[in-house]
Amino acid sequence: MTQTVLPGPRAHLTSPVTRTVLRVQNTITAAAREYLAGDGFVEMLPPIIGPVTDPGARGAKQVDVDFYGHRYKLMTSAILYKQASLLAFDRIFYIAPNVRLEPLETSSTARHLAEFHQIDVEVAHASRDDILLVAQGLVTHIVRRVVERMPAELAFLGRDPSSFAPLLDGPFGRMTHHEATKALHELEHDQSPDAEIDWTGERLLSAEHERPFFITDYPKGSRGFYDRENPDLPGMLQNFDLIAPEGYGELCSGSEREFEYRRIVARIRETGENPAKYGWYLDLVRDGIKGSAGFGIGLERLTRYIAGLEATWQANAYPKLPGVVSP
Amino acid sequence: MSGPERSGGAGGLSAPGFPEQQVRRRARLGAAAAFPDPEDYGQHLFGADPGRSAPDELDRARLVPPVFMPERLERLIDLGREPLHHDVDLTVEIGGFRSPLPVYLSAFGSTQVASSDLGLAVSEQAGRLGVPMVIGENVVPMNGYGRIDPAAGRTLLGRLHRYAAEAPDGLGGVVVQQSTEDADAEVWNLVYSDPTATRLLDTGRLAFELKVGQGAKPGLGGMTVLGAAAGRGVAGQYAVEELFGPDAGRVLRCSAPGTFTDEILRQQIRLMRNNFPRAQVWVKLHPGRDIAHAAEVAWAAGAASVTVDGAEGGSGWAPLSFLDHVGLPLAECLRRIGRPGGCLLASGRMWDGARIAKTLALGARAAGLGRAALIAADEDPAAGLSRLLACLDMELRLIVSALGKYTIEALGPEDVWGASPAMEGERTYDHHR
Repeated sequence: MTQTVLPGPRAHLTSPVTRTVLRVQNTITAAAREYLAGDGFVEMLPPIIGPVTDPGARGAKQVDVDFYGHRYKLMTSAILYKQASLLAFDRIFYIAPNVRLEPLETSSTARHLAEFHQIDVEVAHASRDDILLVAQGLVTHIVRRVVERMPAELAFLGRDPSSFAPLLDGPFGRMTHHEATKALHELEHDQSPDAEIDWTGERLLSAEHERPFFITDYPKGSRGFYDRENPDLPGMLQNFDLIAPEGYGELCSGSEREFEYRRIVARIRETGENPAKYGWYLDLVRDGIKGSAGFGIGLERLTRYIAGLEATWQANAYPKLPGVVSP
Repeated sequence: MSGPERSGGAGGLSAPGFPEQQVRRRARLGAAAAFPDPEDYGQHLFGADPGRSAPDELDRARLVPPVFMPERLERLIDLGREPLHHDVDLTVEIGGFRSPLPVYLSAFGSTQVASSDLGLAVSEQAGRLGVPMVIGENVVPMNGYGRIDPAAGRTLLGRLHRYAAEAPDGLGGVVVQQSTEDADAEVWNLVYSDPTATRLLDTGRLAFELKVGQGAKPGLGGMTVLGAAAGRGVAGQYAVEELFGPDAGRVLRCSAPGTFTDEILRQQIRLMRNNFPRAQVWVKLHPGRDIAHAAEVAWAAGAASVTVDGAEGGSGWAPLSFLDHVGLPLAECLRRIGRPGGCLLASGRMWDGARIAKTLALGARAAGLGRAALIAADEDPAAGLSRLLACLDMELRLIVSALGKYTIEALGPEDVWGASPAMEGERTYDHHR
């Protein structure tokens, strides 16, 4: 495993490449806000700490915070708060910071950061298929805005805008997890039928596509407890990943959510957790929350794809790679 | 550990009801302890001891060498000379690891005996020999991570580091247990993302064990006795009871056992495989009456090994009624499982080669040493465990070769004559692996 050497903060922040990338990222967040506000969404400010956070991050350690003698967590994702926020509004989004102490092996994937941001979207009463359309519309709008408004920046970064023609031209592709597994087996990649598509598998599939595509219907056991299990097809989740083309890999994960108390408690146990630690959330769920669907787009990953960068860390002003000490 | 009856180990550990003195002798003498005292040779007439205590069916059963030994003939042809016990290969694959002996070290948990420096001494000796070792649940919640506090050598990462530093290439492995309470402290996530584990992960020698139950108290969670102050410290995470009176200065700490159904177990295993693709998944079961079904579910979901912890006690605190009356005997567990659908491990009163050999012949791939390892390390922290393992090595070679076999895999139910009729080779499967 080769260790990535990050530039110091002065070299990184004064680099013309970093400055251009951060300007592209600024256009991405502005375009996201423009699109979502136009679609009736309310932007809320996400919590940074809480008694509990998303346990669904594979293999990543959460960061403990001593909150006046109580163990709190930094958000690995704000999923539980997204569901709660629908008590206030039916369509919400955050641009949220997340911290995940990822396994050390991920420091060389070019895709993982220990600290990163998500464009987090949640819609009440939406189905998985409804939310796919929101994700597709949002990503398409963002890419269109960057292509329209930043031709000079893309040229400076060596990113050919015609790469996005297929994306701007039509709907994203779609395959089930089962089909993706089968395709990977045909590529002689040993993908487990019960697990997330692994990083190599994502890259292989991504390299075969010229526009983004959804992988849907992951098996239970590969995701957090909040991804809704298909009532008609037990063992299958009503969820998805959005995969960027050209080998850039996963951009976004989302799902229709579980919202019924009994089902959520059972699913929490299936993920090996003690339901007691989710006290505030379960109290809320017991009294009733809205059914919903939502997703989180990795902002640095989306920036990497649009800007055509070698690695995700280039899309963060203060990048933190797993296990690498940096400012 | 206090009380007037305790024995004289370095750490003052005692184990009433366990063959403690024999284990201590092994920890002092090593392989020589497989035989009577040589001082008595030529002066004593040795024979079976009719008063020998035989606490369970496995102990009452006998190992039964045949007269005709075709497998010995095969070995003779291989070697071009008569085979001896030195020619037995004791190496086995245990839950994805390679071990020079068909044994592994069971988890000691966070009990007072196990959280002392013995935990580190045991890690070092197990690592040096390449015998797989399980690090117990609750080591993190009770003793800490050991990541930022440099003095915390007895922590989880301290033990892991000590083992990894000693382990020879290609042998052994560390298994880190997590139970329902541990999920709060994210033991597996911690280990999987920590540099200490890199060497073991890179060589496929890290496993995570899902603790479904334990032999000492089937159906209950972990229990330990804590000082009152320590009890207050963990009261937010565990049930803490003033069982001994308000002024006793000590309290009972109880873990929740955790709720399992077949679907919960299946999905927990799948999630472990999904989240920790480079670690093996082990599952530890208490001796429940549906043990065969539970083991099948675990193997089918992808567990690299399933451990049956016999109802035989342990280093923790258990209600007396449970020790004497609750849980299937280990022999009955093995009988119900029959031919294992994957790697089966067994623990419970394992301390000598004969009991281990019977367990292996009845289907297990390896046996877990719990109290025996702790007592051996207590007798001599520097070398007691190594000597105990040397003695087991000698005994197992003698037993396996006496049965006319030269690998552990060759042992089968035909090698055991049971105390109860149901154990006498009524299973007709060709081979249990």
